[in-house]
Amino acid sequence: MWFFNSIFGKIFEFIFIPFSKMNPWIGMAVASFLTGIFMLAIFRWTSNQEGIRNVKNKIKAHLLEIRLYKDNLSLSLKAQGNILRYNLKYVGYSAKPMVFMIIPIVLIIIQLNFWFGYESLSKGQNFILKVKLKQGYNPLHTNIVLKPSSGIIIETPPLRIEEEGEIDWRLAVAEEGSSNLQILVNGQSAIKTLTVSQNSICRISPIKVQHNIFQEILYPGEPPIKKDIPIQSIEIKYPQKRMNLFGWHIHWIIAYFILSIIFGFAFKGFLKVEI
Amino acid sequence: MSPFNRREFLKLGLTGGCLIAVGGSQDIITRVFGKAETPKKVIILGLDGIDPHLLETWMNQGKLPAFQKLRSQGDFRPLRTSIPPQSPVAWSNFITGTNPGGHGIFDFIHRNPENYIPIFSAAATEGAKRTISVGDIVLPISGGKVNLLRKGKAFWQHLEENNIPATIFKIPSNYPPAVTKQRTISGMGTPDILGSYGIFNYYTTDTAKINEDIGGGRIHEVYVIGNQVEAKLPGPINSFKKDRPEASINFKVFIDPIHPVAKIRIHDQEFILNEGEWSGWKRVRFSMIPTQSVSGICMFYLKQVRPEFKLYVSPINIDPGDAALPISTPKSYAEELEKRFGAFFTKGLPADTSALDNDVLDDGEFLQQDDFVLKERVDMFEYELSRFESGLLFYYVSSTDQRQHMFWRLIDKEHPSYDPKLASKYGNAIENIYIEADKIVDKALAKVDKDTILMVMSDHGFTPFRYCFNLNTWLKENGYLRLINEWKQGQDSFFLNTDWSKTQSYAIGLNGLYINQKGREAEGIVPQGKTKETLVREIAHKLESFKDPKTGEHPVLRAFVAKDVYTGSYASEAPDIILGYNRGYRVSWASPLGRIPKNIIEPNTEKWSGDHCMAPEVIPGIVLANRKIVLRFPALYDLTATILEIFGIKKPKDMIGQSIFNLRRP
Repeated sequence: MWFFNSIFGKIFEFIFIPFSKMNPWIGMAVASFLTGIFMLAIFRWTSNQEGIRNVKNKIKAHLLEIRLYKDNLSLSLKAQGNILRYNLKYVGYSAKPMVFMIIPIVLIIIQLNFWFGYESLSKGQNFILKVKLKQGYNPLHTNIVLKPSSGIIIETPPLRIEEEGEIDWRLAVAEEGSSNLQILVNGQSAIKTLTVSQNSICRISPIKVQHNIFQEILYPGEPPIKKDIPIQSIEIKYPQKRMNLFGWHIHWIIAYFILSIIFGFAFKGFLKVEI
Repeated sequence: MSPFNRREFLKLGLTGGCLIAVGGSQDIITRVFGKAETPKKVIILGLDGIDPHLLETWMNQGKLPAFQKLRSQGDFRPLRTSIPPQSPVAWSNFITGTNPGGHGIFDFIHRNPENYIPIFSAAATEGAKRTISVGDIVLPISGGKVNLLRKGKAFWQHLEENNIPATIFKIPSNYPPAVTKQRTISGMGTPDILGSYGIFNYYTTDTAKINEDIGGGRIHEVYVIGNQVEAKLPGPINSFKKDRPEASINFKVFIDPIHPVAKIRIHDQEFILNEGEWSGWKRVRFSMIPTQSVSGICMFYLKQVRPEFKLYVSPINIDPGDAALPISTPKSYAEELEKRFGAFFTKGLPADTSALDNDVLDDGEFLQQDDFVLKERVDMFEYELSRFESGLLFYYVSSTDQRQHMFWRLIDKEHPSYDPKLASKYGNAIENIYIEADKIVDKALAKVDKDTILMVMSDHGFTPFRYCFNLNTWLKENGYLRLINEWKQGQDSFFLNTDWSKTQSYAIGLNGLYINQKGREAEGIVPQGKTKETLVREIAHKLESFKDPKTGEHPVLRAFVAKDVYTGSYASEAPDIILGYNRGYRVSWASPLGRIPKNIIEPNTEKWSGDHCMAPEVIPGIVLANRKIVLRFPALYDLTATILEIFGIKKPKDMIGQSIFNLRRP
């Protein structure tokens, strides 16, 4: 799974690296544009284009019928019934491409969340590191040592929450540069990457998880924790990021969907896709 | 729909690109009203409570080089304060260029003559006039509002009419901000999110040592179960619900079983604090109904983890990024500051003096909190100075006032609360804040050019507050106030035990005394006219003659008859007598709210130990300027006239001051 995740991640890195120092809206526009084109392509290849065209024409024809025969109640009602019928048929034609689109879109969203979902840390900023132990391990009776790389300061002693099998620390960034956090549990070590950057967009992996296919799909930012280490997950609480639209802070996914739809509609004629 | 042709697509792309570029850029900065260039520029630093005697002493000792430099460049004078010398009154004098008769603010506290209940003088809140109810939910059709009760036109409104730009930063007595296109943000008088002057919350397992019925705070008894504490943060009254319950947010504290550290989880936020650490600002949102919520900001302080758990939460300030109440003009000014500096104190008096007074915070902890206030003020001052190009900049600092109120006991060995041990540790708190103020003056001096007039002013000075004068008790002892049940004396507030049918006079507020006037007060007995006039003069004379049997001093130095000292349209709303206390004396804590203790004079054992609600001649303020001051005894309202003269604006008729400079002289 990690092999697939790392390849997929590299593709996104390749796309976004040129825009990393630019306004995040540029990167978002690029991502939305590519997604729009990608969705159009899937739609074109997987849908019944002729059928969609026919259905849309029929809907238009029945709309015209309603206008022309607006004095004839029975004809108007019949036309409305036909519009409903063809609408359902249209939904049916759209269902197949949706099925083809849903998995890649989910995977894209997961990746985009690493780029647009979190703020990177900067010098002087503090953050929480959460280590969750596997079931059966008590944080009070487990020997856990945190060794951050230079430039990271541990600000609090470990805070152990027995009930949640969790150990938390508050750390602070003293110096900029690539960093990682080494967690030693009963002598075994796991490494969590930490993103300290001044770039406007950069890849941030908030959670490192245990070997588990479902978890690895959801959190593909880092290689999974080795099975024999009694850690379930290692999480860094990065600040949530918002896209700034005239001072209005919106979630990136709203911007992404709106821009993708705009690009999709803008290019459907150019790519000769009937939506 | 026809597909776009290439040209249309390019147009769309260009427009979209521009929108993206603008949308993602910094927000459009609010432009200050008025023309870009004015021949003269004015910077006024309002340092609340700076005392001329202390200032001169430390200037002469070389501890305040910037003040000294400013004095040498221009002048320094004690500044005549208001009657009474309370901040809302004094700053209103300065804002409007009138005395209280012209602006209608006579005290922190006024009274409702219909029921003798004390009311805040500065602002009044009106609920929605029309509502509809859907089940349990009450929906307002017309919005409620907050009204500024200060009358008279503010000097920046005069500037606005003459196209002179101004930025007015946190001037007291301007909540809600007066309607203007100038950039203003409200200061003293701005409530917390509960609509009060600041209610902190304190969560502890050790309630035995704390009086639960304290002013300015709420004590919550909590239990540590399995190293966890569950608690509620109370919020504003939910007026969207029929029974108007208190909104609240649940939060949880996780404590390490050994280490002195805890994690607080509130909403989706988590933060870890070591014992003795502050959290910085945390945003909290109180849900009212599914579509409505109120946002506030507060700070957590983990005072102690064990053996007893102690967590302090500051009063919940109005969130400047999403203000539930009006705090700035334009509204975007507060938002702009929030975006640049993050959340910041919006409550009028930011440092929590109640928490210190009630031993919830100790001296060191209070100073830490006030340091946050000061740092924030300094950072914002630098920002405002950096973009100040024309017109007027007024900038206000509150820490100078707050620290003198709270730490006077440690420089005054005669004070009942003097503690030599604490004095050795925190005895320099007042001197230090003067030194910090000096640094602010230095920043302003660096900005001054030949066309800039810099004025540094305070609204009043300071003096020790050693003894409390129970004014209502004095009235009772002298036969002007009667009780229903003598044996209940001292037990009730709000005059609940007062026999109004036999009461001629009563006191509400910090300096005000009212005659129980027939036709004005609900149960008035003293007819207006000669009888009242005679009574007023008699009481005033007796008060000035009264001696403290222990010290032989006169607690009341001056008893001003309102009609002798106030002019203007609102003079008739004033208390009948305004008391000016002697150095060391002030009205008691009980009297302003209508409580009548047994003794006329009591020692002040509170930490609130310095004060200024005395006679104006005891505590003048200061004015320093980089120009020669020609007025021998300038007053607050003279500064207003001075501002208008600098900008060539004719003084309106209702302004009573005159310019302190001779600007026509070369």
